[in-house]
Amino acid sequence: MNLKDLLSPFYVWQRAFEKPYTSIRPIQERPGAAAYRGFHINISEECIGCGTCHKICQNDAIDMVRVETYEGRSGDSGLRPRFDYGRCCWCALCVDMCPAGSLRMSNEYTWITSDPTEFHFTAGVEHTTWQDNPLGYHRAEGYHLYPPKRIEMEMLPPEVSVQSFDEVVAGYSEPQALLEADRCIECGICVATCPAHMDVPDYIRSIRDRDYEKGLQLMYRTNPFPATCGRICTRRCESVCPVGIQGEAIAIRWLKRFIVDQIQPQDYARILADQTGNSGHRVAIIGAGPGGLSAAYYLRKQGHAVTVFEAQASAGGMLRYGVPSYRLPDADLDKDINYIVSLGVDIRYNTRIGKDIRFEQLLQDFDALFLSTGLSVPSSMRIHGEEHPRVLSGLQVLADVASGRDPGVGQKVAVIGGGNVAMDAARVSRRLGAEVTILYRRRIADMPADTEEIHESQEEGCHIVTQAIPVEIIAASSPQQVSIKWGEAEMVQDPKGGRPRPVLQEDRMHVETYDCIISAIGQGSDLEFLSKEIQDQLAIEWGKFAPGEYQHTSLQKVFVGGDVANRTADAISAIEDGHHAARGIDRFLNPDARTHTDQEVN
Amino acid sequence: MMSELLDRLVRDFGVTDITERPPAITTLKVSKENGERLIRELRDREGFTHLNFIACTDWIEDGIFRLIYMLHNYDSKQNLGVHIDIKRDHAEMTSIHTLWAQAWTYQRELREMYGIHFPGSPRLEEDFCLEGWDAMPPMRRDFDTAKYSAERFGHREGRVSLVPRDHMKVQLYPNRGGDES
Repeated sequence: MNLKDLLSPFYVWQRAFEKPYTSIRPIQERPGAAAYRGFHINISEECIGCGTCHKICQNDAIDMVRVETYEGRSGDSGLRPRFDYGRCCWCALCVDMCPAGSLRMSNEYTWITSDPTEFHFTAGVEHTTWQDNPLGYHRAEGYHLYPPKRIEMEMLPPEVSVQSFDEVVAGYSEPQALLEADRCIECGICVATCPAHMDVPDYIRSIRDRDYEKGLQLMYRTNPFPATCGRICTRRCESVCPVGIQGEAIAIRWLKRFIVDQIQPQDYARILADQTGNSGHRVAIIGAGPGGLSAAYYLRKQGHAVTVFEAQASAGGMLRYGVPSYRLPDADLDKDINYIVSLGVDIRYNTRIGKDIRFEQLLQDFDALFLSTGLSVPSSMRIHGEEHPRVLSGLQVLADVASGRDPGVGQKVAVIGGGNVAMDAARVSRRLGAEVTILYRRRIADMPADTEEIHESQEEGCHIVTQAIPVEIIAASSPQQVSIKWGEAEMVQDPKGGRPRPVLQEDRMHVETYDCIISAIGQGSDLEFLSKEIQDQLAIEWGKFAPGEYQHTSLQKVFVGGDVANRTADAISAIEDGHHAARGIDRFLNPDARTHTDQEVN
Repeated sequence: MMSELLDRLVRDFGVTDITERPPAITTLKVSKENGERLIRELRDREGFTHLNFIACTDWIEDGIFRLIYMLHNYDSKQNLGVHIDIKRDHAEMTSIHTLWAQAWTYQRELREMYGIHFPGSPRLEEDFCLEGWDAMPPMRRDFDTAKYSAERFGHREGRVSLVPRDHMKVQLYPNRGGDES
């Protein structure tokens, strides 16, 4: 042994402070690539719990679980995806499919634990270190697994549509409907939002299967007015359709119409095969609008005898007298109504309760009553001179046209209001050859009318003047004309945070003369047919009923529904009210048939 | 120069569907019968000496697998994708392991993932990455992944999934909708 051998172990130490040639493992982290498909991130606030990730997952790795924070939101199931990493294969189909665009992946890929029951978490709800990681796999901009744009609907060009009362919307052809139906992801979020809770994904599927008879059967489970709703429904379903978040909502209304249009009226009885027995009970319905006739349909299916009292000469209520035929042709409304009537519904036309028959008489003669009398009294503009004979009501103009009478609007018309009645009165006047100005007190964005109706009325040549407040109606030099004084308005922010309020500018007044002024600023109920005593018992607030759980009232055997009893005042809500009242009436008439889980009605 | 080559390939090999895919990929289609001969010609005479990869797409609706042979020319920096459609039933293709030794690895993978046979290719039947796989080749589109995983893998206890539509009915409108009428 020499000195070198003795010292050599110590020579090693001289390198101890040099930079090592090797890398340190496993302490040094190795991040995934920027677009690596690592652990999931869900932006829970943007997620709507549609469950599409769960459905598309090929490994059954995603559950939809309740997360209380998100319950009760509109268009949101309140569920959120929970990932089982014992099954996930990181294929990212869930990310590619997510209609809300809330789901993506981080580039993190290490999760070390000694507990094999872990690797199971609700992304975006439970804390993870990767939730805020900006890297990882994102779906590329503009990349969709389904076409984000809806199939365009063909319509009459405005220069043609304004010439007649022909239907403006053409309806889908079969190839168009199949393509549009194919965009539906079948999540069913829309079902809760639809007032009637129609089985939307199921009837859209029937289009894909080209089984239109099945589609019709599905629609009648919840709505005996599909030909009508397929044309004029307010379609709240489409406003929550998840496909609409990153693209255009499924054209649910047009698909509904497509199904009905494929079926001939003479085939309804065979396809629907509705059974009507005889329960021995008699139900009276006041008003043959969508609410009354929907109740009539379901009551007949329960076997009850139904008599409908209708003040007008035809059935349909606002659908016939308020919606012009270029939006809802008579033949299509009749398709719905005739089938309901064919089940043995007795309609007494031209019979006004309170005038031709006393309400108390009905209370005495029938086992149950359903009141669905609608809103038929035009609201007053509350300005001086409005009783002038050349001031017409929008409702009257529409009713005249629907009945084949000339409302005599003249050549130059002003329409006051911004709702659907105002738009329809304006478009009807255009078709009668008039020049039309619409005066509205707020802005176009504030108009309660459907956006499409506003757009189409403008296209058809109606001139909209916004922030215009009517001040006074003045007699013109000719009795065939009338003048209106209106003032410009400034929109003033509400300090309490409500919607901006129009404030009249006294120094900016205008006076204009027209052949007629059509007032269409809303409508109220006509409850004259009820005695004071009965009105008191029915809990009427602001001219409307406030019904209970099953559309019932405090007056035993009286049920109410439709525009006169709800806040939404649209056809589909009235249809649901009628359907639900039929359930309530059936439970009231057959108390023994109630199951122990049912709640009391009266 | 490329267009001259392509013209000749059309004439001699019946090549169709020539498509330029920027920045520097040209794809073309050739019949199964002319496929191996064309690839050999490209390698030996046209400078496409490198095989990037062999891939496959399952066009189940058309009843075919599309094989994609991606070739590279180091001199011209050109990439040429040769597309060859073969029938899905009893899928079979001429092996090119004699042209590039590494081709047998790709072919072994294609056998495992799609069930395509390459007669004569070495070690073709050996497992590649799916050890002990005994089901339908998993990259075929008729392979039902969800069904397979349901049958083969255990279920974690306590897992429950709610259906959004049904859950919303229970929460928001229990007595309404179409279930009772």
